[in-house]
Amino acid sequence: MFARIVWLVLRKDFTVEVRSLEIAYTTLFFAISCVLVFAFALVQEGRAPEGGAAGILWIAIAFAGTLALGRTFERERQSETLRALLLAPAARPAVYLGKLLGIVALLLAAEILLVPLVTLLFQAPLLEHPAWLAVILVAGTIGFAAVGTLFAAMLVRVRSRDVLLPVLLYPITVPVIIAGVRATAALLEPQPDAGIIRFWLALLACFDVVFVTLALWTFEPLMTD
Amino acid sequence: MPKWFTPAVVICGLMFAVAPILIAEAPYESTMGLVQKIFYVHLPSAWMFLLAAITCGVASVRYLFRGNPRQDRIAWSAAELAVLFGAITLVTGPLWARKAWGTWWQWDVRLTSSLMGWMVAVAYLLLRKYGGPGSDKLAAGLALFGMANVPFVYISVNYWRTIHPTTNVVPTLPTSFGVPLWFSAVTFLLLFVLLLRMRIRLEEQRTRLDALYLAMDEHR
Amino acid sequence: MTFLRTFLVVLLLIPAAFDLPARAQQPPPQQQDEFIPIEKLPPQDQLPAAPLLVAAYSFVALALFAYVVSVARRLGSVQQELNRLESELKRSGRT
Repeated sequence: MFARIVWLVLRKDFTVEVRSLEIAYTTLFFAISCVLVFAFALVQEGRAPEGGAAGILWIAIAFAGTLALGRTFERERQSETLRALLLAPAARPAVYLGKLLGIVALLLAAEILLVPLVTLLFQAPLLEHPAWLAVILVAGTIGFAAVGTLFAAMLVRVRSRDVLLPVLLYPITVPVIIAGVRATAALLEPQPDAGIIRFWLALLACFDVVFVTLALWTFEPLMTD
Repeated sequence: MPKWFTPAVVICGLMFAVAPILIAEAPYESTMGLVQKIFYVHLPSAWMFLLAAITCGVASVRYLFRGNPRQDRIAWSAAELAVLFGAITLVTGPLWARKAWGTWWQWDVRLTSSLMGWMVAVAYLLLRKYGGPGSDKLAAGLALFGMANVPFVYISVNYWRTIHPTTNVVPTLPTSFGVPLWFSAVTFLLLFVLLLRMRIRLEEQRTRLDALYLAMDEHR
Repeated sequence: MTFLRTFLVVLLLIPAAFDLPARAQQPPPQQQDEFIPIEKLPPQDQLPAAPLLVAAYSFVALALFAYVVSVARRLGSVQQELNRLESELKRSGRT
């Protein structure tokens, strides 16, 4: 029953999104513009700064993610579907999980486009260990999206929600970003140290578990009027 | 205000007057000299910052799950104190570091996580001020996530190679350093309690004001 | 409740997740071999400590004072508003 609700919410979001692809296109384009701005700002004499690629990738993910979160819940707010979702006889945590998986899927799609772009613009060997990179990206995205989905959902009925989302989200997710950047940077070394990567991945996994658990626990009281 | 408040204020004032004497009489530390004396305000401020964050977190959990409005008032007051003491810690620390480490700031675990924790407290206040109705529960949720940061700040120095002194320094302090430190810490703790009580009173009065406005509207 | 339990269990498992051993020790301070007059030190080491110390303590005093004043002022204005409202209500007659 729980899994069924998660799947239904996920399918609903996917169906709605596929009709117009509005959020997908705008988020992707924004992420790409972000990376390009960094490229123009940081590239000197045709060369990218040392070790900048990891940071730029994760900043682009964080910014694009914030935008996607805001837009997704703005759409829910306009159609008042969030209230309908909450009124439905469904376990609230299941609704949260469904929304979380939708956001994660959207961000992963953005990352699939971002990684080759960053590789190209910053001459960073990101695609040398695709399996490791995939694990790092998934772990980091889940951590970021877990907090983001909760905060975006709870800010839906609040004034100044557009500016408050980043204000609330970034301090909490900084550890996730740091861990993601460090892991990616370690991966970009000529001889990646598996021990260091495993360390940062373990940290990411911890944050994921802590954040998702906290979010599941507080989604119910936070979304009640 | 409760009966113990005014005597406590007097005691606190006296302690603040005595503290500099104790601090001045403490010996100089061998490697850092005079600038180490910042320690006697930096460390108690850091402790009060963490205490305020924990208070805010615990009160927020209780408010979120039980709905007791008093807990909300405690949480908001504690968040303000967290911003205050956090700011003191984050300013006195670099002033000390400039001389002791040769640099104002280092992106090591302790400093980074403290700064992030402080920003969460600031974000809490922004949410309360500009969020409008309903922001009380949301801020409680934010405080919960912020509280998860606290143990991390405290133990981080013991697990990462960092330039910041570890938590081993305080338990092994010689008495000549320990006396002014603990005196200063108790002074700050008393101040914390007084400020918290005062700030909670402000919230209580605000609540009464809101209730009065509501009663007036109903009579029209 | 199950979530709380899960959370606590995970918290206890966190230390097991780390590979790197704890590094707690700071390197011991360098032993001094000779005395060097302060003028011979590089400029960075010659930084006088007193201005930093004074700045730190002044900031502490200022911050605490500013906060106390802020709370007192807010309390005063709320109290004033309360008194005004209560006297108004008393005048118009409360049921």
